Amino acid sequence: MLAAAVVIALGAGVGAEGAASRARFDTRVLALIPRPGFPARAYVGRHGHIYEGTYDNPSGDKVPSRVLEYSRAGALLRSWTIKGQDLSGPHGVQVATRDARGRLVLLDKSPPRVLTLNLHNGRQRTYARFPDLPACKAGALDCSPSVMDDPTTPNYAAWGPDGSLYVTDYLQAVIWRVPPGGGRPRVWVADARLDGSQFGATGIVLQADRRTLLVGMQSEGGGGAGNPTTGRIYSVKIRRHHKPGALEQLWESNPLDGPDGFAIGRSGRVYVALTVANQIAVISPKGQDIERFPSTPLSGENGSSVPFDNPSSAWFDGRNIVVANQSFIAGNAANQAILNVHVGEKGLRELIPRTAGQ
Amino acid sequence: MSSGTITRRRLLESSAAAGAGIVLSKVPGAAGATAHHRYVHRADVVIVGAGFAGLTAAREIARKGHSVIVLEARRRVGGRVENHHLPGGAVSERGGTFVGPTQNHLLKLAKQMGVKTFDTYDTGQNRYINGGTRLDYSDTGPLGTAPPDPLLLPDLTLAVTELDQMSTEVPVDAPWEAAKAAKWDNQTLATWLSYNTVNPDFRRKLAPLATRPIFGAEPGELSLLFVLFYIAASGNEQNPGTFERNFNTRNGAQMSRFVGGSQLIPIRMARHLGRRVILGSAVRRIEQSKHGVRVVSDRRTVHAKQAVVAVPPALAGRIRYEPLLPFARDQLTQRLPQGTLGKVAALYKKPFWRDDGLTGSVASTDGFISFTVDDSPPDGKQGVIFGFVGGDNARAFFRMPLKKRRKAIIAELVDFFGPQAAHPERYFETNWSADEWSRGCPVGVPGPGLLHAYGDAIRKPVRRIHWAGTETSTYWNGYMDGAVRSGERAAAEVLAEL
Repeated sequence: MLAAAVVIALGAGVGAEGAASRARFDTRVLALIPRPGFPARAYVGRHGHIYEGTYDNPSGDKVPSRVLEYSRAGALLRSWTIKGQDLSGPHGVQVATRDARGRLVLLDKSPPRVLTLNLHNGRQRTYARFPDLPACKAGALDCSPSVMDDPTTPNYAAWGPDGSLYVTDYLQAVIWRVPPGGGRPRVWVADARLDGSQFGATGIVLQADRRTLLVGMQSEGGGGAGNPTTGRIYSVKIRRHHKPGALEQLWESNPLDGPDGFAIGRSGRVYVALTVANQIAVISPKGQDIERFPSTPLSGENGSSVPFDNPSSAWFDGRNIVVANQSFIAGNAANQAILNVHVGEKGLRELIPRTAGQ
Repeated sequence: MSSGTITRRRLLESSAAAGAGIVLSKVPGAAGATAHHRYVHRADVVIVGAGFAGLTAAREIARKGHSVIVLEARRRVGGRVENHHLPGGAVSERGGTFVGPTQNHLLKLAKQMGVKTFDTYDTGQNRYINGGTRLDYSDTGPLGTAPPDPLLLPDLTLAVTELDQMSTEVPVDAPWEAAKAAKWDNQTLATWLSYNTVNPDFRRKLAPLATRPIFGAEPGELSLLFVLFYIAASGNEQNPGTFERNFNTRNGAQMSRFVGGSQLIPIRMARHLGRRVILGSAVRRIEQSKHGVRVVSDRRTVHAKQAVVAVPPALAGRIRYEPLLPFARDQLTQRLPQGTLGKVAALYKKPFWRDDGLTGSVASTDGFISFTVDDSPPDGKQGVIFGFVGGDNARAFFRMPLKKRRKAIIAELVDFFGPQAAHPERYFETNWSADEWSRGCPVGVPGPGLLHAYGDAIRKPVRRIHWAGTETSTYWNGYMDGAVRSGERAAAEVLAEL
């Protein structure tokens, strides 16, 4: 029923003018991502411009990652090549957010670091470098409470009200906090429930109260929360003096959903990209599954010319969400795209504190 | 010329009243950048070049409420796009002519300017001539516009398939970052063909038949990486580029034309911009300081916050810059010559070839013309055939005196279409390489090594100077659509700085 309402719109621009007439979950191809491809997170910045980093190619390549800039309508405007990457192993970059001066905040995989990218002059600066953490043993302090000893892999980030940057770690069971102005990141939360083994922490978004972070887990592969095949969204409060509150579960996915990046609507609903199920899940503010698009998992058929194929992020652009379609497993370049999905509500405004990045 | 359009003559007439400078007729809202002194202007943005790219940038910037001035060297707008007026009021195009699928930026602009499209005449058979081989064929076949020469077919099929596949590895925003960029940029298309095709006639005859009209160059002049990029760029963000979309008429880049000629679009854009566009004012020097940019042209000096240079890289390199541009940018402009391309055309009382079941498209490996197209007006009451003369053919052709050139072309048209072609009402030709403000067409053609070494300087702003022009475009580089895209992109850059 829902799928029948989807309008096929290959090649159509996705300007604001078309939004009013769009059906819910109408999906359009905003742009196919040029090589090296593997888009992992599409971020909507100023003027509605969309920024996309190229992420890790599981088959391996020696091509440095790039950040691409698209207009709201999907026209490729500019791109920047990331400098200083270690190309000998897996590498990739995600556009996490922007700072108070409009610079993009990038999370680089190798070396694990936070970069800022000045859109005016292309200058890249290192904002923070992440240390590697050993797996915890009895009595260890700075460590990851995870089963395996994996490298630091910054994944998503969100600003706290004071300009601290909170960063999830895909392979280590921690959330990092980078102090205002940058510098050495500290482990903010270390919890076995953040151990996803090879499929760990994903999105992180500040809620409307500006005190609570929602943190996604792709799986509980480390076994810290019971069923290792389901993903979760936790909430954690930022208390005084940056102290973290308790990790509280908001939502648990179905087995093998693989929840990845997400965005919060003004209604409080959470729109989650399910990277394994090839769906978008809509979660109520209280953590209940409201609906999924498409209604059946795996096929990813969304009515556009590009099916969901490991969709890995969601972020609001007006009453739509932009979704990075990564095709990580199949590596199908024809599916590596930014998709625009009409959801009919606007997103929660992202907090960019005045001190962000200063 | 039909009423409701602004003719070149009227354009110049309105300009003549403007005193020392040549400006377009005054329109409401044109006072955003008025002259504070007789020859000195102040504006938020100054744009060099009134082709599609420069005018698009100006339009976008003006729409956001900023003042802008466009300085154009020629006494007309349109750059490498120019209408040729036929007796009776119809037009033919001397330069950029066509529009096709995925060129959505140009199509949108044309619609905004009230310029309609019509299908390029494509009913009937194309003709192919290669020495003794004469073949009529339909472009509805799997090869499209490419001629199905039975002897060359295997090489053609394999080469196009392989090049299409390789092009998917080339990022349109940064071809120099392709995994095999160095390897591909260190060889010419000719080198690659020598290792990947069998029949020497394919390399000697059929490959140049394509590269001469597409690039105005021989296969040996073209970096393989650039050719792959050009293929990848023959699409848009939703549709990956292919050689077929580039080369074909049906469902390809030559599918449609503009009613009133392609230059009608920039003419109308300029009319909307009014006094912001100053003609006959070649820019000679651009000075930058921390306070702004000062652009000195033959007739005017403009002080602005930002500048957009929207001329071909080879010509941009001839402007004097203070302080000097970074060496990479200068090396780029030194090594990016314009293609060598001319268009020859003949006007007949009617498009008689249509009566013979021909589309008017002839691909020929003999003579000067590589490819012809029916360029008749939409009503088909007059017949116009134009031909591309490019690369080595153009170099040899334009060394001859006009009389000889005319004779040679008419003879070729007779060979293509029969004796009725012997007596055109008019013959006209355009040598874009001889044009002072283009110095070649259709696009800048990088030889080996350039993209890998200096390609990333093509769009990189130099402080307050931003670069536009079709050569800077990610998609449809070398086409009008690419120029429009580049103007939009440059405007976005500038607007972010204002």
